[in-house]
Amino acid sequence: MRFIKSSLLFLFGLTLLVSCKKEDPLNVDDISGLGGDTWIKTPLDQWLYDSLVVPYNIATKYKWDQFELELNKDLVPPDESKVIPVMGTVDRVWITPYVLQGGVEFFKKYCPKLFVLVGSASFNLDGSITLGTAEGGRKIVLYELNDFRNKTMPGYVPADSAIPKQMFHVIHHEFGHILDQNIRRPVEFDAICKGLYTADWINTTDYAARQDGFVTAYAESSPFEDFVEMISIMLIEGRSGFDNIVNSISGTSIRGTTADQAKARLRQKESLVVDYYKTAWGIDFYTLQTRVRTAIVNEIY
Amino acid sequence: MNPKDFYGRLISVFLLISVFIFSSCKKENTRVFDQTPDERINGALTAYGSALTGSPAGWNATIRTGTGGIYHFHFRFNESNRVFMFADINLQTASTAKESSYRLKDLQTPALIFDTYSYLHMLADPDGSVNGGTNGQGLVSDFEFAFDSLATDSILLTGRVNGTKLTLIKATQQDFDAWQNGAWANVVAFENINKIQNYFKRVNIGGVNYDLKVDPVARTITFTWVDGSGNVQQFITAYNYSSTGVMFVTPFDAGGQTINGFEIVNWNAGNFTLNIKVNGTPATIAGATQPLKVDVTAPQRWWQYAINNGGLYWISANGFHVNGVEDGFGIRTLPNYYYLIYWPDYNPGNNDLFAPVFLNAAGNGLELLYGAAPDKPQFTGDGRAIFTLLGTYGTYPSVGPAALSLTQLLIPQGYYFIQTGPTTYDMVSASDAKAWISWQF
Repeated sequence: MRFIKSSLLFLFGLTLLVSCKKEDPLNVDDISGLGGDTWIKTPLDQWLYDSLVVPYNIATKYKWDQFELELNKDLVPPDESKVIPVMGTVDRVWITPYVLQGGVEFFKKYCPKLFVLVGSASFNLDGSITLGTAEGGRKIVLYELNDFRNKTMPGYVPADSAIPKQMFHVIHHEFGHILDQNIRRPVEFDAICKGLYTADWINTTDYAARQDGFVTAYAESSPFEDFVEMISIMLIEGRSGFDNIVNSISGTSIRGTTADQAKARLRQKESLVVDYYKTAWGIDFYTLQTRVRTAIVNEIY
Repeated sequence: MNPKDFYGRLISVFLLISVFIFSSCKKENTRVFDQTPDERINGALTAYGSALTGSPAGWNATIRTGTGGIYHFHFRFNESNRVFMFADINLQTASTAKESSYRLKDLQTPALIFDTYSYLHMLADPDGSVNGGTNGQGLVSDFEFAFDSLATDSILLTGRVNGTKLTLIKATQQDFDAWQNGAWANVVAFENINKIQNYFKRVNIGGVNYDLKVDPVARTITFTWVDGSGNVQQFITAYNYSSTGVMFVTPFDAGGQTINGFEIVNWNAGNFTLNIKVNGTPATIAGATQPLKVDVTAPQRWWQYAINNGGLYWISANGFHVNGVEDGFGIRTLPNYYYLIYWPDYNPGNNDLFAPVFLNAAGNGLELLYGAAPDKPQFTGDGRAIFTLLGTYGTYPSVGPAALSLTQLLIPQGYYFIQTGPTTYDMVSASDAKAWISWQF
């Protein structure tokens, strides 16, 4: 058997020697598109680079890229003339208030790093439209840019406020998720409406949800969404707007919550959000709220 | 040879064979082409890119959308990823060049992507209000195209999502000039027919009067006429443009004369008439003050419909169209204006309600701030409804858009009603047909 063993070793060595040399794997062709899309830069590209990439490392994709979007939807890219107004608004309503309250290092560390812009709305099968989506705390997709108007633009009417407001809602909502995922929301929060979270939120109106102590219907879907809906609605509506929402609740809900209980739950959630911002991030929520709401009022009211 | 040697040799032979099996390497070149796939795709992209930018007068483009409409474009591509275009979509796109962006990319096949919004995207826009298509899909068109073929003077492309065909033919300087000099705009000026201040747009062809209704967004023309037996007839056709006129998709048989389209001579902005030629014979489209045949029961049907269907109201988003101006009284400029309503039998048995409705301060509901209380309309035997005022709710403004709208409503001549759909009516001033309002339920 020793003969066999030594033969095996010899043959194995022979196999290695006989094997032919493969081509150098580093010598590849010029692969088209490797390294991303390229085009000749315009002043718009320069503005985005100077205003968002350099200070915050936020990229903005305004040129069409189907692979960033839902493949089953008909969408169109934005008009170039809308990109700066929208991203400027995003800067004023979201970036600046957080940078002023939390500091630029905090903001750079946690902000989503990619905005994808779409010109049209995203139409759903039921006829409703989606004005914003987000993925994984990294990417935010804003829709309907081509209809975007703020009050500095000619022809602005109050009905136009719906689109920017929805954008602000989405951005503050998603940023809320990122904060929550980095430092967990207080456990007491989940207990406030325990047992009332439901997958049936889609068939609920905002008002019916409020009668149960949720700020919007979507907040009913899970404590996870409830928490960031609270953050987002409180920021974009401002303190008095949120007070109006709470005070507008009357009657008893279908599920038997009285108006007083619903109001108390919303107030309890409010104070937990405020505490959370203070203890987790050292941010005074009410000051942040004032800054955001003031910026929104300047944009659309 | 003892058995041990025999087996030892046998094994050696097998192992030697296996050496060659495992160490063999096949170096044969099996490529069908003499370049690598990457070299070829880069070559193709370069060739397409230089073809697109290599036509100094640009390209004449024709696209047929998924809904069947044919649209013409003119593209000029430069080497900085910019494209300049005209299109025969509307007056503005036919006369003003728009700059946007394009790039070439290999997506399974080499593709041309119009990657920021341009006139081309108006067709694909999923917002139906942009192009008259259905919400969610628009006119079923494309702005991302795969190259099918490249010849010296033409490039054929196919849309990557909806499969629309785009044909590019190298343009001559004359083709480019036809856009720049406004020849196409002159044809698209056919849309000006809707600037004729009267609701009714009439043309006489071969001794018969026709009322035309042109929907420039859906690109349809409706002919309405009264036949020999006194019955109202309608014919609808889609149309598209050429550089000289309007082409009907379905030819119109006008009393024995087949009409394939209108040649557009000019739009007379002074007296609001459109001069055309029909099979070479000059004709003029001009306003008229009365329908060809009055729908005598329409006013009453309109009023009763709201009562029979839940006792609700008719709404109009834009208010009155007056002297050629949509929302002529500026009702949409009222703060938080939502829509204008007419509510038949609002106070049952007593009066109706005519009022603007507003968005409330919280932005989550509608509210009435004031309203006018007209009497039940008087329905005349000749098919008009005449409105008279009984009183008001709240303090009805005495000046401004709401006041002007009310004054308009109360004109003594009253209104003709034209039913435009199952739950839509146009209410047209019987005084001169220069004011009307579209009601929807």
